[in-house]
Amino acid sequence: MLGCHGQIARWKDGLAATFALAGNPNVGKSSVFNWLTGMGVVTANYPGKTVEVNLATTRFKDLEIGIMDLPGTYAMGSASEDQWVARRALLDGAPGAVLVVVDATRLERNLYLPLELLDLGFPVVIALNLVDEAWREGLRIDHIRLSRLLGVPVVPTVAVRGQGLDRLVEVALKEAQSSGLRLSAPRYGRDVEESIARVGERLVKEGIGLPWDLPARAVAVLLLEGDEEALDWARSLPEGGPILGAVEEAAGAIEAGHHEPAPMRIARERHGLAGEIAAKVKSQIRAPSRGQDRFWRLTTAPATGFPILAAVMVGLFATLFYVGDLLSTLLSGAWEAFVSPMIRAAVHAALGEGVASRSLLWGVDAGVLAALSVGIPYVLVFYLMLSVLEDTGYLNSVAFLTDPFMHRLGLHGRAVIPLVAGAGCNVPAIMGTRVLATMRERILASTLVCLVPCSARSAVIAGAVSKYVGWQAAVGIYLITAALGFGAGAAMNRLLPGRATGLVMEMFPFRAPCLRIMLARTWHRFRDFVWVATPVVLLGSFVLGVIYETGLIWAFATPLSPIVEGWLGLPAVAGLTLIFAVLRKELALQLLLTLAIAQYGTGTADLARFMDHGQIFTYALVNTLYIPCIATVAVLAKELGWRRALLISAFTILLALGAGGIAHRIVSLG
Amino acid sequence: MSLSSGLLECLEAIWRLERERSPADLDALAKRLGSDRASTTERVLALQGRGLVQTDLSGRIRLTADGRRTALGLIRTHRLLERFLADLLKLPWERVHEEACRLTPVVSEEVAEGLAGLLGGPATCPHGNPIPAADGGLPEETGTPLHRLKPGQGGIILRIEREEPEMLKHLATLGLLPGTKVEVSEVAPFGGPILIHVGSSRYALGRKVASRVFVREV
Repeated sequence: MLGCHGQIARWKDGLAATFALAGNPNVGKSSVFNWLTGMGVVTANYPGKTVEVNLATTRFKDLEIGIMDLPGTYAMGSASEDQWVARRALLDGAPGAVLVVVDATRLERNLYLPLELLDLGFPVVIALNLVDEAWREGLRIDHIRLSRLLGVPVVPTVAVRGQGLDRLVEVALKEAQSSGLRLSAPRYGRDVEESIARVGERLVKEGIGLPWDLPARAVAVLLLEGDEEALDWARSLPEGGPILGAVEEAAGAIEAGHHEPAPMRIARERHGLAGEIAAKVKSQIRAPSRGQDRFWRLTTAPATGFPILAAVMVGLFATLFYVGDLLSTLLSGAWEAFVSPMIRAAVHAALGEGVASRSLLWGVDAGVLAALSVGIPYVLVFYLMLSVLEDTGYLNSVAFLTDPFMHRLGLHGRAVIPLVAGAGCNVPAIMGTRVLATMRERILASTLVCLVPCSARSAVIAGAVSKYVGWQAAVGIYLITAALGFGAGAAMNRLLPGRATGLVMEMFPFRAPCLRIMLARTWHRFRDFVWVATPVVLLGSFVLGVIYETGLIWAFATPLSPIVEGWLGLPAVAGLTLIFAVLRKELALQLLLTLAIAQYGTGTADLARFMDHGQIFTYALVNTLYIPCIATVAVLAKELGWRRALLISAFTILLALGAGGIAHRIVSLG
Repeated sequence: MSLSSGLLECLEAIWRLERERSPADLDALAKRLGSDRASTTERVLALQGRGLVQTDLSGRIRLTADGRRTALGLIRTHRLLERFLADLLKLPWERVHEEACRLTPVVSEEVAEGLAGLLGGPATCPHGNPIPAADGGLPEETGTPLHRLKPGQGGIILRIEREEPEMLKHLATLGLLPGTKVEVSEVAPFGGPILIHVGSSRYALGRKVASRVFVREV
């Protein structure tokens, strides 16, 4: 794979103009991106970094335009990974203009980022988003004045409805074409400016090439802010000594004048300027309507928040089970009634009756049927519900309420987001642990994510336990898993060296989610799932079919029988499907169903004829607990290293065997 | 009391040094004022003659009660002037601090009070630093840790203690700097985080982070 730099360069090739999209988290940046670009999105990675940059192209008045979606950040420093990636992509991509999406209802804080981008010397166009929400809160923003004060174009937008976005692109194009005449950078206090200018002059006097062709003022600001990357650059130069000397002197002058370190003073000046500009352009024409806010407060106030949280969780899993089940019945019914007979006829016509055709049918008929009745319906429903939780902002309230419990596990409330996402799919969830600052937290959170039943495992729980044994048993599996996860987390928190860091998280009020964007996101995730899952399911079914039809399966099953039959009390072939399930978790049940269909013919009570209630329970429990899947192990290895990935995998296998064996013994007592 | 602007500048510098690393010493003071030891000594002695500071043999300098009051009065005037210049005269941002520096020594206490009245008694300068009260109180600034506040209470951040540089930087990016006004709107049970308002933004701070942020209750 090309490095990100190469990828961005290749993507830029042949485009009439490129723009970067920047903004704080949760200001509607992805809505802007979605409206402008549609479906053809590629992602670019920097080696060793997990935060992605999305690249897409769009047509505007016969022009091919590239849009680079940067990670949502509060600033453009080099400290945290998302900021580092955002800044590096911006510097490497050198876009014609940076479209900064700002939240009109939180203008002061949101103006910090565009000021910083202006300091870096980028041409900026402001998308003043959420003006409808500001309007509802009784807030009016004079965008013409804002434009004059900042010296950059400002376009009011309502991104969820696509309003103002055509104009935004038009203005950005104009800005990119006239980029020779750059308006002035922000002006901070004169003494601070003098210090910046002194460092800048020194840089010019040394006559060295500046990194990424930044203007001298930009590099001077970075150096005075104590930016590690800029300082490293200066240290590596032969002329580094005098430059660093000048920086130290100028920083000292700022510190002497204001009695606080230069980086703090610059942050203060920037916030101060942002606040002053915001105060000049906004007016509160009436008291904000507090209805939505009051409802939001109910979800964070402990007395009401915890009951709401419990209700949401129950609702979530009930929907998952019932709607998923409904979809499952519809899809598998349709397949069996219409498609299956045709495929059977076609395969028989081509290959005749025999081992080859029966093996192939395992894959293309029984395999697809299994995917339609187990994987796809539940994953689809889950992704849709996850989108609702994310887009309404409710996940933030969840993080707020659960922080003290996460603390016991050495984590903080932000970790709840990857953990909940883990209930969808462990792979993105483990990637999502990047929101945590330290490796210690990431190891803890990643291990816990592996123990969160993903939608594939939930599908097995729903499709086997809740369908054949009853919902109480299904809930039981979740409770046992949760208890084991909590115990494992608390134990690891004691065993791992180091301490937990604190929670600092912006809280967003509720927003009415936009159906179009939610559906688009669900579709993207679901499509990825289907693309990755279906070939593995078909291939796995086919291979298993060959093994089964040739009778090899029993040879494979025998070595496993002491563990599977003796310790877990399951039929030996069930153990085999558990091993195949390492490919994808829902494969376990699909293969088991396929076996049942092959052995006893079609019908709903297949699994029940194959295994008793206790066996189904034990089977689902073991399936839930041991290694999530090959993809998860690969991601763990990528994020934490192979050694840790294998340790975590081994741990989950032991945990699953232990819990399964005990469950079998308890269940057979009763 | 009329003091030359040089002496006023010296007095303010001593006050700030005392707050940073009490007690102030002559070398640090000279460095901060950007002048040499001899002329700094001269100024300190002049201040001592008026009973505003005390010195000892090892070169340590302490403010007297009078000295502290005068210094706080100066800071109050300076910050009120910054507000006045920024809010009413609409002077460009970059000139506010400097102009106020120039004007501070010549503004009398009455004028300062007039300014405070005109501006409606602002709590902070445009940069967010707190303006001391007229009675000389920037009160004893031990402060209360943020997590001790009850929902509905507010405070101005005095300092953030024992925090990692990364975290300090992140907090600064979000605008959580000393001098920022915050309001607590929710305290989660079981040692959970607290929910604060800063301007129009809301943040959740973990209990541990909050315990390191010291505020002056307002």
